[in-house]
Amino acid sequence: MRRLSLSNRLALLFAACTAVVSLFAGVLFSRASEAHFIELDQQLLDGKLIGLRRALHDIQSSESKAKLADELSRQADLSLRITGSDGQRWYDSASNLPKELPQKPGLSTVNDDGTDYRVLNAPLYLDKPDSPQLTLLLDITHHQHFLQRMQHLIWLTVGLSALATALLGAWAARSGLRPLRRMSAVASGVSAQSLNARLPEENMPPELAEMAHNFNAMLGRLDDSFQRLSAFSADIAHELRTPLSNLLTHTQVTLTRPRELEDYREALHSNLEELQWMAQLVNDMLYLAKADHGLLMPKCEPLELAEEADLLLEFFAPLAEDAQVTLTRDGSGHIEGDRNMLRRALSNLLDNALRFTPANGEVRLRIVDQPKGLSLTVENSGDGISEDLLPRLFDRFYRADPARQEGSSEHAGLGLAITQSIIRAHGGQIRCKSESGWTRFVIELPKGD
Amino acid sequence: MKLLIVEDQAKTGHYLRQGLTEAGFNTELVADGSTGQQLALTGDYALLILDVMLPGRDGWQILQAVRGAGLDTPVLFLTARDAVEDRVHGLELGADDYLVKPFAFSELLARVRSLLRRGSATPQETCLQLADLRLDLIRRRVERSDQRIDLTAKEFALLEMLLRRQGEVLPKSLIASQVWDMNFDSDTNVIEVAIRRLRLKIDDEFPNKLIHTVRGMGYVLEERDA
Repeated sequence: MRRLSLSNRLALLFAACTAVVSLFAGVLFSRASEAHFIELDQQLLDGKLIGLRRALHDIQSSESKAKLADELSRQADLSLRITGSDGQRWYDSASNLPKELPQKPGLSTVNDDGTDYRVLNAPLYLDKPDSPQLTLLLDITHHQHFLQRMQHLIWLTVGLSALATALLGAWAARSGLRPLRRMSAVASGVSAQSLNARLPEENMPPELAEMAHNFNAMLGRLDDSFQRLSAFSADIAHELRTPLSNLLTHTQVTLTRPRELEDYREALHSNLEELQWMAQLVNDMLYLAKADHGLLMPKCEPLELAEEADLLLEFFAPLAEDAQVTLTRDGSGHIEGDRNMLRRALSNLLDNALRFTPANGEVRLRIVDQPKGLSLTVENSGDGISEDLLPRLFDRFYRADPARQEGSSEHAGLGLAITQSIIRAHGGQIRCKSESGWTRFVIELPKGD
Repeated sequence: MKLLIVEDQAKTGHYLRQGLTEAGFNTELVADGSTGQQLALTGDYALLILDVMLPGRDGWQILQAVRGAGLDTPVLFLTARDAVEDRVHGLELGADDYLVKPFAFSELLARVRSLLRRGSATPQETCLQLADLRLDLIRRRVERSDQRIDLTAKEFALLEMLLRRQGEVLPKSLIASQVWDMNFDSDTNVIEVAIRRLRLKIDDEFPNKLIHTVRGMGYVLEERDA
C-alpha cells in the first residue's frame, strides 16, 4: 500500500478537524433551535388548552360549539379532536386529521401524509377520571421545513469548510515542509564521492535546524570514516605490497638456477619471516575489523588492576632492563573488564613506551581510581610527540617514527589502533598528551554499577 | 599414537599431515565430514584435528557425535572464522582447543603436544635435567656443570618450561602464554629479550649450547652435536 505523503496527511487532518468542529457546532445549533420550537409550541398549546377547556366547560350546551368555533378560528393552524373516555372519536375540527394519534398525555410530534403536527393530549376535565380527551394538533410543517433547510446548510458548511481547509492545509504543509525537501535533495545527491555536501543550517526553521545540524554532523562523520576507510584500504594494499614483492623476487631469484642446499634453506627462512609478518598483519586487521563491526565483546571479569599491572610489568621487565629504562607502577584500582583484552591494550602501550624511551629514562603506569571511573596512564620520558601528530597517532598504519615508515619493520603500526578499539569496546576513551618531556597515554574507563 | 585430521582443503591437509608425521605422529587425513565422523567414532585416535567448515558434516556435528558417544578424545578445532560466538560455541560443545587460520605450524604442533600430554599423568618430578643442566624443582635451584646459576622467578619458569618440553620447538606466543599468562597476539620482542637474557646465564659460559633459536618458529632446548 502506498503511504500518504506528509502534506496530504496534514491536509486531511486539517479537513477532518474542521469538519468535526463545524458538524458539532451545526448539530448543537440545530438541536437548540428544535428545542426552542418545541418550547414555543408547548407554550402556545398550553394557552390554547386553557381557552378550549373554558369554551367546552359545558360540553352539552349549544353555545359551547360557537365558543369552540370562535376559539379555533383565532389560530388557523390549530385543529382539535375530542375523544370520549371510551375511545370513541366525538369531534374533529378539520376533515384531514390523522386517524391514529398517540394516546399518551403530554406533547409529541406526529407526521401524517407530509404534514407535521405537534400534538398535545390532555383531559377535558381535570377533576374527572373518565373525562373526554382533548387532542390539540398544531401544524408545524413550516418549522420542520426551516429545520431541514438548516440541516442542509450545516452539511454544506461542513463539506465546504473541510474542502477549503484541506486545500489551505495542503498548501501550508507543502510550503512548511519545503526545508525537508531541500534536505532530501541534498541527501539524494550524497554519494561516496560527494560526502562534503552540507545543508544550510541558518535559514532552517528552528524545528528542523537541529535535524539539519545532526544531518550535517552525520555527513561529517561519514565523510571522516570514509576517508579513513579508503586510506585504510590503500594502506593495506601498500603494506602487503612490500612483503609480497620481497617474496616474489626472492623466490624467483632463488629458482633461476640450481643452488646449494643452504641457500634454499635461507630463502625459505627469509620467506617465512615475510609470511609471518603478513599473517600478523592479517590477524591484526581482522581484529580491528571485528571491532569496527561491534563484534569485540569484552567479558566482564572483576580485575584488580594493580595485580594486572604488576604482571605486565613483570612481562616487560626483560625489555625494560635491556633498554635501561625504569618501569614502575603507581596506584591501584578495581574494575570489571576483559582480562586478555585489557592486557593486550596495555601491553601495546607499554611496548610502545619502552621503544620510545631513551636509556636511563622512565616508564610509569599510573592507576587512579575515581568514584565514576578509572584512569590508567602510561607515561614515558623522552622527546615527546609533536602536537600536530597527536590526533593521527591512533590511525591505522600510522607510525610516529618516520624511519619505520616503510614496510617490513617489525611493527605494522596497528598496535595503538587495536588498543583504542579495545578501550572503546569497554566504553572508555584513550587520548595522548605530550608535554614537558613526558608522553602520556591516558585511558579512561567507566565503572559498571 | 594416532591422530585424525579432518580437513577438506587439500593443500592444508597435506601439509598438516606431512608436518605432524615428520614430528613423529601417526596421522590419518580425511577430507569429508561423514567419513571423518565414522573414523572418529571408532575411538582409535588419541587426538582429533577438525576443520569447522566441512562437506558432509561440519566439525561441530562431528564433535557432538563424538561426545555423544561418550568418547573424551581431545579435539582441536581449526577455523578461518574467528567470531567470538564460534569460539564459545566450540568450547561449549566440548572442544579442547581452537586455532584460527592463519596459524603457525609450530603453534599447532605445540598445542597438539600439550593436548596429548594432558591425558597422561606425568609422574611428579623433583628434578629436570638435560646434559649437565639441572633444575631442582623443590629447592628451586639451577646448576650447570655443578655451577650454581641465579635466575629470576620468571627465568626459572621459562627454563622449567623449556626443560619439560625439551626437543620441542616452542613458539613465542606459547611461551608468553605459559610463562607470563599473556594470551594474545603481540608483536613485542619481550620473549626474544627474555631468551637472550636466559642464554646469557645458561649457555654463554659453556661450550655446548642448549637453547637454540629455530628461525621463524621459536626456541628449542636440546643437546646438539657441535
